[in-house]
Amino acid sequence: MARAIRMDKKDNVATVLMDVEPGDDVDIEGGGDSLRIEAAEAVPFGHKIALAPIPSSRKILKYGETIGIATRAIKAGTHVHVHNLKSSRR
Amino acid sequence: MAKSAPPRKKRSVLKSKSGDSFLGYRRPSGGPGARNHLAVVSAMDNTNPLVRRICSLRSDLIAVNTSFGRALMGEDEAQHFRVMGHLAGHPNVGAAIIVGLEPITAGAIAEAAAKASPWMPIEVVTIHEVGGTLKSTSRALELAGKVAAHLSASRRERCGLDELILGAECGGSDTTCGLVSNPVTGLVADRVVNAGGTVIFSETLEIVGAEHLLARKAADAKTKRRILAGVRRSLEYTEELGVDLIGSNPTADNIAGGLSSIEEKSLGAIKKAGNGPIVEVVGVGERPTKAGTVFADAPCGGVENITTLSASGAQAIIFSTGIGNPIGHPISPTIKVTGNPRTAALMPENIDVNLCDVIEKGLSYKEAEERLNKELIDVLGGKPTTSELLGETEITVSRAALSL
Repeated sequence: MARAIRMDKKDNVATVLMDVEPGDDVDIEGGGDSLRIEAAEAVPFGHKIALAPIPSSRKILKYGETIGIATRAIKAGTHVHVHNLKSSRR
Repeated sequence: MAKSAPPRKKRSVLKSKSGDSFLGYRRPSGGPGARNHLAVVSAMDNTNPLVRRICSLRSDLIAVNTSFGRALMGEDEAQHFRVMGHLAGHPNVGAAIIVGLEPITAGAIAEAAAKASPWMPIEVVTIHEVGGTLKSTSRALELAGKVAAHLSASRRERCGLDELILGAECGGSDTTCGLVSNPVTGLVADRVVNAGGTVIFSETLEIVGAEHLLARKAADAKTKRRILAGVRRSLEYTEELGVDLIGSNPTADNIAGGLSSIEEKSLGAIKKAGNGPIVEVVGVGERPTKAGTVFADAPCGGVENITTLSASGAQAIIFSTGIGNPIGHPISPTIKVTGNPRTAALMPENIDVNLCDVIEKGLSYKEAEERLNKELIDVLGGKPTTSELLGETEITVSRAALSL
């Protein structure tokens, strides 16, 4: 079973604690209710997985704080990184 | 010297709630040393080879070399001499020999060192006065022999954490820093601050996106203003350069490690400072005037940053790393801590504290804090760090302006 950690209950992403393959079930530990989601694509160790669908232009939250803005619609279980997240600062 | 100085009042050991104490070299004034180095300090880049040669000829010398130093102006010049002076006059240094091309700049460093540590034996050797590198080498070695006797008379004594300035740095960051190594460093930082000591952290650009949280923790309006002004200045400068932070900060290797934006990096980075209120903001290499959590408004590069933390008087530095970075400071022993299992396996000789059990085996933060705190106490008491043993140590003084 793959594992990921959610730093705060407000977060819409979690950090995976091992390499995740498409179709893997990922147990989400940490802040908020326990949750299990299916990975829609590969997510490398230490990278983020979307816990719910995130519409384009919506805030991406980790540590309960904004870490960037979605540059396109992000599906639950997909990899969240520089290809679909943009800093809200320069 | 040390013997004739009035005894320091014994306040620390009993005061520390956690009961933590370490064996340090008590100085007649200022904090105790975790080391008792005989430092050979280069006034500027042109004396680095001479300093390296001098240090190769005796086993008890450490080289404190530097880039630049010649023809600096204004704040840049002031910063160079402040940092080099504070490194020479560091509590971990028992005696210093300042090596320069000419007496004016070498004298300025000697003066700053003497101001920081009035008890310290400080000698100056300059190529122009002594005449050439060979005679300067010989002269420095004679002086080293003389001051070495002073150092060998020193013994370690029990010191409290209230006498400690701990530096906290994060380099070679990835997402494990925000999950493991930084929060655990923050717990050890809280322990030092709760015992009456000081924790200094830095890297202004790496609080962007988290500055509102730090501003909230500022103990007074001036501190809050200085935190926010530092962030504003950093962002204005990146805008002026026309650069996108992505790729430069976070760096390409940070991004490969899973960090997607400066905000994400910063929110993880600030955890290393712990939870205490921020009592003061200092500039590059300035010494804090208050105990507690102190922010140094200084650049982010690892070597530059540990240099500024050391110049601010940190007797030890906890250096949290994700993807791995072997570097340490020659004067302030630098404890490399990682929570990334791949890094710990890939470069074990560069890691002092392996906290991978947090991710792999569910080790609690509390247990991880104990592990890191024990290493800190041991290193303060003389245990060599990986970077000291391998000689992976370096100094870079931050620049405030360009050379002309």
